[in-house]
Amino acid sequence: MDKKPIEQCMEISTNPYDYLKKWKIDNNKKIISCFAMNMPEEIVFASGMIPVISWRSDEPVTMGHSHLATFNCGLTRSFIDDLLKEKLDFIDGIAVNRMCLQAQGLPFLLEQASKMPYIEYLSLPALYDDKVSYNYLIEEFKRFTTGLEKVSGNTVTDDTLNNAIDIYNKNRGLLSEIYELRRKNPGIIAGKEMLAVVHSSMVMAKDINNTLLEKVVEELNNRKQTLSKDDRIKVITYGGLCQTVNSELLDIIEDLGMVIVDDDIFVGSKYFANPVEKNGNPYEALGNRYMKKTPPCPTKGDYRTDWTDYIIEMAEKNNAKGIISLMIKYCPPHMCYYPDIKNKLAAKGIPEILVEVEHEIISFEQVKTRLQTFVEILQGV
Amino acid sequence: MSKHKTNRLKTTKLIGPMVDKHWADLRTAKKRGEMVAWCSGPMFIFPYAMGMKCHFMAGYAAYAGGRGAADDLLKIAESEGDMLDTCSYHKAHMGMAMAIKKGIPVREDVILPMPDLLITGRLCTEMSHYAEGLYRRMDINVVGIDTPPPVNESLIPNLEKYCEDQVRGSLIPRVEEICGKSFDYDRLIEIMAILKETCILRNECWEYFKKIPSPWTLWDYGVSIAPVFYMMGSPDAVPYYTQLRDELAERAEKGIGAIEPEKYRVYWDGWLPWGFLGQFSRKMTDLGIVPLVGRYPWEFFPHPETIDLNGDPIKEFVKQVYSNGGLAKQNLPNMSLPSIQKWVEEYSLDGLIMFSSKSCRMWNLGHPDFIKAIEKKHNIPGVVIEGDMVDSRMNSFGQIDTRLEALAEMMAARKK
Repeated sequence: MDKKPIEQCMEISTNPYDYLKKWKIDNNKKIISCFAMNMPEEIVFASGMIPVISWRSDEPVTMGHSHLATFNCGLTRSFIDDLLKEKLDFIDGIAVNRMCLQAQGLPFLLEQASKMPYIEYLSLPALYDDKVSYNYLIEEFKRFTTGLEKVSGNTVTDDTLNNAIDIYNKNRGLLSEIYELRRKNPGIIAGKEMLAVVHSSMVMAKDINNTLLEKVVEELNNRKQTLSKDDRIKVITYGGLCQTVNSELLDIIEDLGMVIVDDDIFVGSKYFANPVEKNGNPYEALGNRYMKKTPPCPTKGDYRTDWTDYIIEMAEKNNAKGIISLMIKYCPPHMCYYPDIKNKLAAKGIPEILVEVEHEIISFEQVKTRLQTFVEILQGV
Repeated sequence: MSKHKTNRLKTTKLIGPMVDKHWADLRTAKKRGEMVAWCSGPMFIFPYAMGMKCHFMAGYAAYAGGRGAADDLLKIAESEGDMLDTCSYHKAHMGMAMAIKKGIPVREDVILPMPDLLITGRLCTEMSHYAEGLYRRMDINVVGIDTPPPVNESLIPNLEKYCEDQVRGSLIPRVEEICGKSFDYDRLIEIMAILKETCILRNECWEYFKKIPSPWTLWDYGVSIAPVFYMMGSPDAVPYYTQLRDELAERAEKGIGAIEPEKYRVYWDGWLPWGFLGQFSRKMTDLGIVPLVGRYPWEFFPHPETIDLNGDPIKEFVKQVYSNGGLAKQNLPNMSLPSIQKWVEEYSLDGLIMFSSKSCRMWNLGHPDFIKAIEKKHNIPGVVIEGDMVDSRMNSFGQIDTRLEALAEMMAARKK
């Protein structure tokens, strides 16, 4: 019997290496590993190659520490480790963007740790001066295109780029639909399943993923028929910038009597927010999407839009009783923002708990105890 | 007792009072009715041109660290929710801001006045986060100038235009609005003229690092950076560097070294450990290790001779950040490895120390690869020392001793 669509997503998310190796053999296309969080993947797709969002493995970092210190984030260390262990030999190039300090230094590390023929760095702007940032951004996108055309041997035209935008927008629409199903039917999909669904979109060619997501929607609609009322306490998660959070954590949250009804995490709603609004010029359309200030992204330097307000609004819309901060260990954009989120939520009487997501060492028992206490607090609210 | 002795420079004794005066003037500016800016990155030249008193983010954190006040500021920040692993410069400012907001007592000599304008020069993304945090907590005026460091030369033309457009389109109008007057281009050119003259003298001083024995150390230059950076345009700058150059010339002529006997000449990467310079200095002196050159101290306007005082002053300043000066070039490992390789020969180096700040993710990336690449080409050893520029909890001097001793042993073996 064929595996169900969500099960397929779980399988791809759990072992993206084997999936992509096989896919490459079957499809004979180049794969470009793109770092989170704001990469214009559509340009890569339009060049005839497949963009895949870089992930961290589930192995402890060993060889990677010969290139960088332990006090860098799990994604950075794990990706370098995977390169050294030749686990990523199926990729044909790597594109990094300026999301944080660690990303700024990555091109050098990648050059030292691999013989990758194509390593590109997009110096994406801060959202300070909208017009100046936008003009500079469009130039960066065009420079990115020129490099991709050389690697792929294909020309990116307005038509191919608009076609890619359509395919990506369809993907965003499908993921939005799945999220809406969860909002309206809490418990219809487990947290770790949702993580795998979004992650499958990051790993697979978007046109193929669209077909799978259509089946996921169908599967969830079938589940809806038999779904009984979920009495668990509604919570939302936010944070988890750039990388997957441990799925075990999501299991613990839900096993303890909470249900994740919505999220603002990268391998979550942040990834597919805001479709590209086509306006005839695909670069400008992609630029307009990048310039959007919601959902707030602490890597974009936008000091005016308040992330906490966005999270509160999300919690209120979903009648969530609590907020779980999933912070990637050694993630400066989140670390620097966190005190303001914590204090504002406390001032408004909204329960919140911080869970640090570490790459190697995580004591799930300790986390479980803390989350158990959080549940008890929520039950008293 | 150490077999090595330190010959302290007379001139560097002048810097303490100059720096104290700078921060005291800033602290008392509001009482005199003067406008105050806070600035990260190199954009303080623009408020200076308008007669504003200006703080510089890294300079302040270094000053607070050097005065032994950083730990208290970090504790205040952490009591408000900041994380242990967050950039200690960021946290020092959050601690100061919260001390002012909540009336928490801190040492008077490190108190900052709240700014009329916060200029965030986003050379490192943390510089942006600190401004964002202050904006949220203190509700102050912010103007952001994004100055991304280049990963290669080909990016520089676009980056220069981007930077210049922001200065003209955002920064200058905002400074004019805050100060209520037109931008003073004449004063901007005057400051650049002083910067040029000071840095040309400073570059003459740098030449003395090539002498064997070296008449001064990287620590001496470290404490002398303020006049070529955040005290830019000060009337004390040129006399200070003139006196310093003359003292170095005299020492070089007499063959007097800063550390005697000078045993090992080393490169120092990353931040200077501002809060612990004395401890590092004593430990290295005991082993005869003399630090001489580093990409962080070298980033401060290395090529002032290229400033054209008859050119467009904004373009000329932006070129000092990118194409002609390269301030931003030293921030990323791609652009700085060739410089380090060149310095190994120019300064006759015996070894490398990579100071890896645990709370700074800009200056630690690439350290092991730097050592591998340079060791392979030049056959000199290196070590990574983990610590922090101002957070005392992150420096384990037992481990630091062991690594410095290991480096000394490796250098001794290679010198045979």
